[in-house]
Amino acid sequence: MKITICIGSSCHLKGSRQIVEGLQALVKEHGLEDKVEMGGRFCMGDCQNGVCLTVDDQKFSLKPEDVQAFFEKEILPKV
Amino acid sequence: MTYNLCTETGYISLNHVGEQLCGDRVEIVDKENESILVLADGLGSGVKANILSTLTSKIISTMLAGGMPIEECIDTIASTLPVCKVRGVAYSTFTVIRIVENRVAELIQFDNPAVIVLRGGVRYNYPVSTREVGGKQIHESRFEVMENDVLIAMSDGAPFAGVGKEFNYGWQRDNIIDFAEANYHPDNSAKYIAANIVDECNRLYEGEPGDDTTVAVVRVRARQSVNLVIGPPADPKNDIKMMNLFFAKEGEKIVCGGTTSNIASRYLGKPLIPTLDYFDPEVPPISKLQGVDLVTEGVVTISKVLKLGEDFLAGKDTSADWTSKKDGASLIAQKLFEKATDINFFVGRAINPAHQNPDLPITFGIKIQLIENLAKCLERMGKRIKVSYF
Repeated sequence: MKITICIGSSCHLKGSRQIVEGLQALVKEHGLEDKVEMGGRFCMGDCQNGVCLTVDDQKFSLKPEDVQAFFEKEILPKV
Repeated sequence: MTYNLCTETGYISLNHVGEQLCGDRVEIVDKENESILVLADGLGSGVKANILSTLTSKIISTMLAGGMPIEECIDTIASTLPVCKVRGVAYSTFTVIRIVENRVAELIQFDNPAVIVLRGGVRYNYPVSTREVGGKQIHESRFEVMENDVLIAMSDGAPFAGVGKEFNYGWQRDNIIDFAEANYHPDNSAKYIAANIVDECNRLYEGEPGDDTTVAVVRVRARQSVNLVIGPPADPKNDIKMMNLFFAKEGEKIVCGGTTSNIASRYLGKPLIPTLDYFDPEVPPISKLQGVDLVTEGVVTISKVLKLGEDFLAGKDTSADWTSKKDGASLIAQKLFEKATDINFFVGRAINPAHQNPDLPITFGIKIQLIENLAKCLERMGKRIKVSYF
């Protein structure tokens, strides 16, 4: 599974760093480093709805405070 | 190679503890075929010293630039400087470094610590002849300069640093030369070298300088262009045109901004590879793109670069941590402040609708203004700047 997080200006200001670090920590905590690949990407063209990210080809929009819930709902069941 | 050389100057002063004004003064005159730097140190400290050194440096630099001989400068100073009531003398020491056609250095020194010259990063003992002018012992030198020669002038606050604290006799000239040699790097700018030495003086003074301390550096270096593109053109039809012009330029290439780097990636036909390393929590990670020296995010990073530049110019940041940090803003600062002599900005005027969001902490309408301010800041560092809009 590949998670790609937007690190463009808008998303940066809306908290992409917290999301990157939050997800990195959760992936590690669950020992999923081999199964989940994380990467950055510049502008995904949907700045108004940032922070933008994709899980494989599916698009999501996420706030830093929702990282935990998102991980449990969208990542954990699929790996 | 000499046709491609240029002269770069930079200086930093520390004030005597408790003083608002500095008694040292540096004047720089840059002309078509010569650069003149004068460092004067007025007797005492505070207002009086400041007036003495200001008059001295201004008179010498203006007269020398006008082609007058040093005798006349000294004569003019002697009859112009106000005489100190307490001490009964009118006195200001001075050092003149004059680089003619980026080829010959002429030094004229009166009572300041002797200029240190580094050639290829090691001390160079230049010839000195001494004569008396208007009752003053003047030391004069003339020698051919080479690429990467560094000439360091200072006021006596530098060798006084640490007297009675760190050292018995202060920071001796030999120690200063050792320090300058040890910290030498061919890419370091004149301003950075000056800041580096002043920062060490401040440390030796334990943050409370016992004398005004000034270090002024002249460096002979090769010209180097750096090109920076930020923002997509207002009309997408001009994407290719902008990239054509940008990539046709000689020198290093920096691409700033998400959309802009996607355009560059398409133009070059190479993939854009983002990283996720936050070396500085405030600055978004950089990306890699084959054919481009550096790819960063846009406005957030450039705002930080502008801040670094302004603090560095104002002398607030003598430690200049950005010279060794790895975040996008520090990497841009290294290229623009240190490496470049000529900088070309390519600025796209497109407006990103997401940037018009009032909830965001910085207003993105300022992108153009940000570049204009950065350009001004770089001009004050002595860079040749060209800004083109698309």
